[in-house]
Amino acid sequence: MKDPRGERNGDMEDREKHHQPPPSGPQVEEPLTPERIFRDYAGQVYHLARRMLGSDADAEDVTQDVLLQVVRKLDTFRGEAALSTWLHRITVNAALAHRRKKAIREEHRVRDPLEHFLEDGGHGAPVRRWSVSPEEQVLDEETQRLIEEAIARLPESYRDVFILADVEQLPNAEIANLLGMSVPAVKSRLHRARLMMRDALAPHFEEASA
Amino acid sequence: MITCRELVELLIDYITDELPPERRQALEQHLQRCPPCLAYLETYRLTIKLTRRLPRCPPPPALMQRLHAALKSVPPPPPPPTGGCYA
Repeated sequence: MKDPRGERNGDMEDREKHHQPPPSGPQVEEPLTPERIFRDYAGQVYHLARRMLGSDADAEDVTQDVLLQVVRKLDTFRGEAALSTWLHRITVNAALAHRRKKAIREEHRVRDPLEHFLEDGGHGAPVRRWSVSPEEQVLDEETQRLIEEAIARLPESYRDVFILADVEQLPNAEIANLLGMSVPAVKSRLHRARLMMRDALAPHFEEASA
Repeated sequence: MITCRELVELLIDYITDELPPERRQALEQHLQRCPPCLAYLETYRLTIKLTRRLPRCPPPPALMQRLHAALKSVPPPPPPPTGGCYA
């Protein structure tokens, strides 16, 4: 029988691999100029802000604030690894502050996935496999849209952790640091968020019952 | 024997191999006898894999134009100290 854990260690390895600064070229490191910051990091900042705020216009405002802050303090950075970590920190802080300032509170009600279980701990509904290839490297537009919509419907406190962990692929300890939470609290929210995402995607991907 | 609900609660630690050996063994014994939980594990993993493949599209061109315009308002950094210069 195939090991049900599958690529269990891939989760950590992917996140470690992903959490690297952009490649800086094989031999000569391009200096960190304002133009280069804008070219190489605007997308990273914009997408994180957009997913956290759920609004293109708010994400644009936050991106501008963040990048101008970075450019003003460029002479204080000692390398791109520090810059990448710092960018995540100020983007998260700027997005949270923007949300507070605009009093954006769109707390979606999502049913607790663990409520689907019966009193004896069994599944309350059939669990079907999905007709999605795990080897498919590029998502089609419809799948992208379904995932983006499911993320947008997560309650904010779960969405922030999910985006940082599974979209940005940051380590749990760094997320805890960014959001001012303990690592166990991050893991607890991440797990609930994944269960909510699974439940939201399941109706679209489940194989037809025999 | 753990229940299906207990198994689901353990998945986050199971897929990163962070469960104590006896819990992992109990979970795997359950998986061997419970096709719904095996399907649940697969779909939990797929949820993570699919999310990680979301592409990062380029920022809107209008934003980049706005950023470059804003950049012009930032004063240039002070020149680095030259050192060894005595008046």
